[in-house]
Amino acid sequence: MAKDISLIDLKIGQKAKIINIAGGRIATKRLLDLGLTPNTEIKILRRAPFLGPLQIKVRGSKIILGRGLAAKITVTTE
Amino acid sequence: MEKNKKIEIVLAGHANVGKSVTFNHLTGLHQHIGNWPGKTVAKKEGTLHYKGYDINVIDLPGIYSLTPYSMEEIISREYIATQKPNFIVNVVDSTNLERNLLLTLQLLELEKPMVLALNMVDLLKKKGIVIDYEKLQAILNIPVAPIIAIERKGFTKFLDSGIELVNKKKTAKPLKYSQEVETCIKELNSDLHNIDLPYPRRWLAIKLLEKDQDIQKLIWEKRAEILNKATNLSDRLKKIYGHDSSTVISNERCQLVSRIVKKTIKLTEPIKLSWKEQLDNLTCHKIWGYPVMIAILACMFLFIFSLGNYLSGFLEIISLSCQSWYENLFPSGFLASLGWSGLESIIALAAIALPYILPFYLILFILEDWGYLARIAFLMDNFMHKVGVHGKASIPFMLGFGCNVPACLACRIMETQREKFLATFLTTLIPCSAVTVIIMGLVGKYVGISWAFALYFFTLIIIFILGKIASKILPGKPTELIMEMPDYKRPHLRTVLMQTWQNLKEFVYIAGPLVIISGMIIEVLKQAGWLKLIANFLSPITVSWLGLPAAVGILLILGILRKELILVMLATVLGTTNFAQVLSPAQMITLAIVSIFYIPCIATIAVLLKEFGWKKTMAITIFEITFAIILGGLTFKLLETIL
Repeated sequence: MAKDISLIDLKIGQKAKIINIAGGRIATKRLLDLGLTPNTEIKILRRAPFLGPLQIKVRGSKIILGRGLAAKITVTTE
Repeated sequence: MEKNKKIEIVLAGHANVGKSVTFNHLTGLHQHIGNWPGKTVAKKEGTLHYKGYDINVIDLPGIYSLTPYSMEEIISREYIATQKPNFIVNVVDSTNLERNLLLTLQLLELEKPMVLALNMVDLLKKKGIVIDYEKLQAILNIPVAPIIAIERKGFTKFLDSGIELVNKKKTAKPLKYSQEVETCIKELNSDLHNIDLPYPRRWLAIKLLEKDQDIQKLIWEKRAEILNKATNLSDRLKKIYGHDSSTVISNERCQLVSRIVKKTIKLTEPIKLSWKEQLDNLTCHKIWGYPVMIAILACMFLFIFSLGNYLSGFLEIISLSCQSWYENLFPSGFLASLGWSGLESIIALAAIALPYILPFYLILFILEDWGYLARIAFLMDNFMHKVGVHGKASIPFMLGFGCNVPACLACRIMETQREKFLATFLTTLIPCSAVTVIIMGLVGKYVGISWAFALYFFTLIIIFILGKIASKILPGKPTELIMEMPDYKRPHLRTVLMQTWQNLKEFVYIAGPLVIISGMIIEVLKQAGWLKLIANFLSPITVSWLGLPAAVGILLILGILRKELILVMLATVLGTTNFAQVLSPAQMITLAIVSIFYIPCIATIAVLLKEFGWKKTMAITIFEITFAIILGGLTFKLLETIL
C-alpha cells in the first residue's frame, strides 16, 4: 500500500520514492542538482540525535540533509 | 606542431572529486592564488609546459551545477562563457558517476571543447563497478580519460585529447531531452536569434525554462518580450508534467544520466567495504559518535599544543640570538630599533605560523582527506543551528580554538554570504591559543583553575548569545545543511602536504604585511614616547571604568599584534612577575575578559579585510571593542562586590 509521508517520518533503511520537494526555490534547485528529482529512490541511512540532520542514500551517493529541509520532502513508500 | 602555443584550460567539477589534486599535480609549484575579480572567492591559476604548449590551468571552484546556488557557480559559468578557455576538463569521481554526470550534461550545454577525466578509477574494482569507457565516450561524444589523480596517472591522455580538440576546433554538443521539452527549447531558441550574449542560445533557452534569475535579468535587459514567452512555455511544461518547469528540466537531466549509467556501468559485488560502514556506525552513532568526536578532537589539540609549546620555546631561543646579533650589528638609534621591530614582527609571524598553524592545518587536512570533517558537520548541525548557522560551521569553530586566522579562512565553506559572515564573526570570538595562554597564565595561575574554566565556559555562553542575536539581526534566512558524505579513505600524504603548504603560504601572504607594518607603527609610537600618552588618554576607560592600572592601556595596544603579548608584557609593565601582588583577582578576571573579546588580532583583521572588505571588518572590530569594554566594566563592578 502506497503512503505519502514526509522524509523525516521514513524508517531507517526503508526505501521510498520522492514525490515532491516543497523547499525554498534555491534549496529545491540544489536538491534537484544533486539528483533528488521526483520518482527517485531514496533511503535513510542514519539520523543524528537531538533532531539533527539525516544521512540519506540517493543515486548511489550519500548526502547529509538538514532536518528542516528533509521535512519538506514528500516521499511515498511501497 | 607550433612551438610554445599558449592555451588556457579550466578544471571543472564537484567538490571532493580530486580536482585540486589534479590541479596541483598539473602545475606543481607554478601556481598562484588570487581572487576572482570583484569577488571574494579564491581563484587558483597555474602554468604547465606540455609538448610545446604553455598551458594556463584555471582551477574553478567546486560546483554542483551551473545554477547560481552560490557565488562559485556564478563565477564558473561566467568564466567558461566569457573567457572562452580553449578546453574544459570536467573532473568526475568515477565511483559516483551518476551524480557527477548531472554537471557534465550541463557543461556540455556550454558548447565548448571538453574532455571528461574519470578520476579514482583505481577504486572501481573494490567497489565492484565496471565502466565501459568506450561507450561513455560514444554517448557523450567527448574524449573520456580514466585517471588516478593522486598517482598522476592518465594526465597525458586528457591533455592530448584536449589539445586535439583545440586543433580540430571540435566543441561539445548538448544531449537531447524528451520531445516536449525539446520543442519548448526550440521555440525559445529561435526567438533568441541575434541576441548579443556570450552564452550559447540553447543554453539560454534552457536556463529560461529553469527560471534562472540571473539569466532572466540578462534577457530582460536585452529583449523583455522573450520572458513572457518563456513563462508561457514553462506553464505548458508544468501542465504536461505536473511539476514546475525547473523540476522538469532537472528531471530530464536525471533521466538522461540514468540511461547513460545503465548503458555504461555494470555493478558487481563490492569487495569488502563493510569495515568502512562499521566505522560509520561508530563515528556517526547517536551516542558513541560524540565521545569519539571529543576524543579525536582532544587528541588533536593535545598534539598541537604540546608540539606548539615545544616549537615556540625553540623559536624563542632563535629570536633572542637574532636580537643579540642584530644589536651587535646596529647598536642604537631610532632606525635601528625600527628595523628590529620589523624583523621582530617577521619572527613573531613565524612564531604563530610554524608552531600552531602548521600542525593545525596538517591535522585538519588529514581529517578532511580521511573524510571525518563531514561526520563532525553531521553530528554538530543541530547545535550550530542554535547560533544561526548550520553544521559546516563547526569546522571553522573547531579551528578557532587553535588560531582565528585559518578558522576565518575556513569559513569560506559556508554557501551564502550571510552564513559566511555570521560564522566568521562568531569565529573571531572563539578563544584561540593566545587567549588560552592569558586565561591559564593569569586567571588559572593566580585566581584558581576553576575560575579559568568558568571563564572559558562564560565565553562560550557569550558566543552563543551573540550568535542568537546576530542571526536574528542579519537579513536573510538561515540555510539548511546540504552536503555530501564522502566515504572514508586513507589520507594521501602528498595531497595533505600540498594543501598544508598552500594554506600556510596564504596565511603568510594575508597576515604578513599587516603584522609587519603595525609592528613598526607601534615601535614608532613607543620611540616617540606616545604609548604612555595613549595609555593616559585611555585611562578614563581602563582606570575608571575597567578598574585596571593605567599601564594596561599600553598592553591592550600591543595585544592587537598578538594577544599573548598582553601577558608577556604585563610583567615588564608592572615590574613584577608575581601578578597577585599588584592585581586583585577581580582585576585579573576583568583583564582576561577584555583580552578575550576586545579586538580580533591584527592577522585576523587582515583576513577579515580580504574576505569582507573595509566596512564589515570595521563593523566587527568596533563592535568587539565596545562590547569588550562594556562587558569588562560590568564584570569588574560585579566581581568587586563579591570577591
